[in-house]
Amino acid sequence: MSIVTDAAAARPAAEVKVPGLGLFAGGLTALLVVLVGAPLLMIVLMSLRTGFPGEGGPLTLANFAAVYSNPGTYKVLANTLLFASGTVLVTLVFAVPLVWLLMRTDLPFKGTIYVLMTVGILIPVFLRTIAWILLLSPRIGLVNQWARQLFGLEQPLLSLYNIPGMAFIQGVSFVPSAFFMLAAAYRTMDPALEEAAYTSGVSKLQTFLRINVPITLPAIAGVMVYLFMTAIAVFEVPAIIGFPARILVLSALIFTSTNPPTGLPNYGLAGAYGAVMLAAGLILAYFYVRLVQHGKKYTVITGRGYRPREIALGRWKWPGLAFALLYLSMEVFIPFLVLVWVSLLPHLQLPTAEAFAQVSLDNYAHIFDHVGALPFINTAILMFAVPTATMVLSVLISWVVVRTNLSFRGSLDTLAFLPHAIPGILLAVGLAYLGLAYRTYFPVYGTIAIIAIAHTITWIAYGTRTTNGVMIQVHRELEEAGKVSGASTATVLGRIVLPLIAAGIFNSWIWISMLSYREVTMALALGTRKNLVISTVVWQFWGNGWVPQVAALGVILVLFALLVVGGLKLGFGRLGEWQH
Amino acid sequence: MKRIRFSLLALAAVLFAPAVFAAPIDDLVAAAKKETGFEFYAPSTLTPQGAQALNAAFNKKYGLNVKLQYSPSGNMTRDIGKIVGFAASGTPPEWDLMVVTDAHHATLWLRKLHQTFDYKSIGVDPKAIQYDNGTVNFANQFVLPAYNKQLVAAKDVPKSWDDLLNPKWKGKMGVSTATHHLGRLAAGAWGEEKTTQFVNALTKQDLILGRLGEIYNRLLLGEIVIAVSLSDSEIKAETHKKAPVVFAESVSPLIAPAYHAGVPKNAQHPKTGHLMAAYLTTPEAQKIWEKYAGQSSALIPGTSAHKYVQGKKVVYMSQDQAEAVDRLSREYGKILGLAGL
Repeated sequence: MSIVTDAAAARPAAEVKVPGLGLFAGGLTALLVVLVGAPLLMIVLMSLRTGFPGEGGPLTLANFAAVYSNPGTYKVLANTLLFASGTVLVTLVFAVPLVWLLMRTDLPFKGTIYVLMTVGILIPVFLRTIAWILLLSPRIGLVNQWARQLFGLEQPLLSLYNIPGMAFIQGVSFVPSAFFMLAAAYRTMDPALEEAAYTSGVSKLQTFLRINVPITLPAIAGVMVYLFMTAIAVFEVPAIIGFPARILVLSALIFTSTNPPTGLPNYGLAGAYGAVMLAAGLILAYFYVRLVQHGKKYTVITGRGYRPREIALGRWKWPGLAFALLYLSMEVFIPFLVLVWVSLLPHLQLPTAEAFAQVSLDNYAHIFDHVGALPFINTAILMFAVPTATMVLSVLISWVVVRTNLSFRGSLDTLAFLPHAIPGILLAVGLAYLGLAYRTYFPVYGTIAIIAIAHTITWIAYGTRTTNGVMIQVHRELEEAGKVSGASTATVLGRIVLPLIAAGIFNSWIWISMLSYREVTMALALGTRKNLVISTVVWQFWGNGWVPQVAALGVILVLFALLVVGGLKLGFGRLGEWQH
Repeated sequence: MKRIRFSLLALAAVLFAPAVFAAPIDDLVAAAKKETGFEFYAPSTLTPQGAQALNAAFNKKYGLNVKLQYSPSGNMTRDIGKIVGFAASGTPPEWDLMVVTDAHHATLWLRKLHQTFDYKSIGVDPKAIQYDNGTVNFANQFVLPAYNKQLVAAKDVPKSWDDLLNPKWKGKMGVSTATHHLGRLAAGAWGEEKTTQFVNALTKQDLILGRLGEIYNRLLLGEIVIAVSLSDSEIKAETHKKAPVVFAESVSPLIAPAYHAGVPKNAQHPKTGHLMAAYLTTPEAQKIWEKYAGQSSALIPGTSAHKYVQGKKVVYMSQDQAEAVDRLSREYGKILGLAGL
C-alpha cells in the first residue's frame, strides 16, 4: 500500500542540489524506519510468541488460534465497531453545527466559546465520565431520579452502561478535535454560494444542510475516518463504563492482556488482538489520505483578496448560542462543577444537606502530600521534549519532502504518516516489549524517555502534516536568494525557512505539548514508578478510591490550563488557528 | 606451654568475640548502611505520610540514613506481573521490598522470584516467616461483604455469604478484581466445588465489575449497595473513615489475607529490604502501620487484629495453598468476566 500526500506529489519549482542531501535524507528515512518500524516489528513478534518478553522460544500461531477461534473475539470486534461508529456520529452531531456557527456566522461570544472548548480538552476524560455517572447512572443518576419523581417511572429513563452510553461520552469528548479539524474548511468556504441561496429565499437551516454540509463533505468524511481510527484505540471510557458492564472493546482487551486484573500478562494475546487493530488502522489511514486529497478538489477559496463574510443569524442567534451552551455544559461546565463539588468533600457523594455540611478545602491542602514532585517534573519534561522532538523531526522531514526532488521523498512522507495508523495502545505495548526483551540495545524501559519516544512517534504524523502545509506556502525564491548570496543549506534552513514557518511550528508545538500532557493510555502501558506523570497519577488515584483528591488535582489543572490558554489567546490572537 | 597457649586463645576469644559472634542483625544493619536508596512498594493506604513515619522510625532504630522511596500500589496484580516479566527479561525489579498480600507473593514464590533470607536468625518469629524464607507476614487485612449503610436497612444486611445470592440484590452488587478473596475460600474453608458453585451463582446477579477502589467508589455513590468482598484497607483508610461503607460483620467465615513483605530476586538494595521486612514485625512498626494503613498482625497477641479475630472463624492462607489460590483466582476472574475473554 502506498500513501502519497499532496506535499510529496507537489513538485518543487526547481531541483535542490545540496552536497550530501541524499545521505542526510537517507539517514532521516532510516531513523524514521527504526522509530516506526521497531515497535511494529515487536507487535508482530510478540503476536508470534508465547511467554514473557525476553524469554525467546519458537515462533507460533498459537496466539492467533486462541484469539480467533474464540467466538467472544467477534463480539468484541462488533462492540468496537459499534462503539467507534457511535462515537463518530455523536461527535459530528455536535461538531458540524458548532463549526458552522463559529466559523460562518455572527454568533455572540465566539472568542469565549473557543477558549472554553480548548479548556474542555484538558479535563481528564475519566473525571468527565464520573460526572456523567452522577447524571445518568441507572440507580443514582440525577436525571433518572428526576424522571422517576416527575413521571413515576419504575425503570431508569437512561443508562450509561451500554454502547450508546459509551459512544455518547466519548463522542462529546472528541468534539473539540473535530471542530478544529473542520474549522479551516468552513472558514475558507466561499460565501457567494450561501448568499445565492439566501437571495433565492432558502432558509438558513436549509442552506446549512444543502450547501455547507455537502461542500464540506470530503472534509467531514476525512474527520470521520480520523475519529474512527482514534475511537477504536481509546481506552478510558471503555474501561470505566464498558468494563463494569462486561462490554469489552479491542483496546480494553489489549490493555487487560498486558495489565491483567487477575493472573499474569499475556503479550502474545495482546499482539494477536493488536494485529486486527493494526490492519484496520492501515486501511483507514489509506482512506483518510485519499479523502483528504479528494477534498482539495472541492476547495472554493477564490484567491488573493478573498475574505469570507459572516452570516447574520438574526433571530436564530439565541437558539445558536443555546446549542453552543448545551455542548459546553456537557463538555466543560457540568464536569467542572462536578470536579469542584467532589474536590470539596471527604468522600464521593451526591449533593445533599449532609454532604454540604462536610464541604472543606482539605483535599487542596493535602494534594501535594499524596502526589510528590516527580509526576509534575516528568509531565513538564514530556510537555517540552515531545513537541520539540516532534517538530524538529517534522521540519526536517517536510523540508526533504517539499523542497527536494529525491526519488524516495514520497516514501518518507508516507513513513511519517504511518504512525497515525498505529493505535497508541498498540504502539506503547510494542515499545514496552522492545524495552523489556531487548533492554541491552534499548535501555529506556521504565524511564520518562520511553513515554517521550512513544508520544513523539504518535504525533509525528500530525507534526509533518502541519509543517508540510506551512512549508509549501514559503516560496522557493527566498531560499534561492539565500543560496545565491552564498549561504549554506543549513543557514538557509535556519535563517530563512524556519523564521517564516515559525508561527505555524509554534502553534503545533503548543498543541502537541497539550496532547502529551493529557495522554494517559500510552503512559499507563509504559508506566513504572520512575516515569509517573500526572495523567497516570490521576488514573492510579481513581483505582485507589481517592476520587476527591483526584478532583482537587483536576481543578488545579483546569485552572492552570485556563491561564495557559488565556495567555496564549492574548499572545497569539486567533486561537482557532492552532490546528490549521 | 599449654597454659600459655590456652591463655592466648582465651585472650583472642575475648578480643575478637564481637567480630566472630556478632549478632546477624548487626551484620545486616552494617550491610544495609552500604546500600544507597531503597525502593519500597506498599499499599496505597499506607499513604506517603505513613511511609515517611516508617522511614524515620526505621532509620532511628538502626542508626541508618536510608531514603525510602515509596510506591503506593495501584494494582498489585499488575505490579507482580511486572516483576515476573522483568525477571524473564533479566531486568532488575523496580522495588527492593514489596508489601503485597500473601496471594500475590505466591505468584513470585511459585516462580522462585524471592531473594530469600534467614529471617529467623535476626529474631523474626518463625510463624511469621513464609514462602521458604522469602517473605515475612506482618499484618492482616480482613475481607467480608460490605454495604452502604445509608442504602441497606439493618434487617436486610447479609448475614451469610449465601445471602449475597438472594435475587433482591440482582443488579445492585459489585465484585472486584481481587478474586483471590474467593480463591482463599476455595483453597481453605469451603473447598473448590462449593466455591465454584457460589461464583457461578454470583454471575446471575448482574454484578458490576471493577478494581477494589472503583467498587468502593460505586458503593459510596450508591450505584451498587453491596460489594461481594471488600477489605478493611478500603473501609478503615484514613480518607474513608467517615464514609457510609461498612462490613456485613455477621458473615462468616472471615477472610484474612496477610500482608507479606518480601524482597524480589535481584533487587538492588536487598539488605535494606530484608532489614525493613524484619522491622515491620516490631511493635513500633506495627503501631505506625496500624495508624496509617489500618492493619496489624493477627499473629501478635495484643494487637487490634489479634483481638478482632477472637471467637471468629477465620480463613488464613498457607504456603501449601499458594498454587491453588493462584489458579482459582484466575479461574474465578474468567467466570466473573474480570479477566477479558
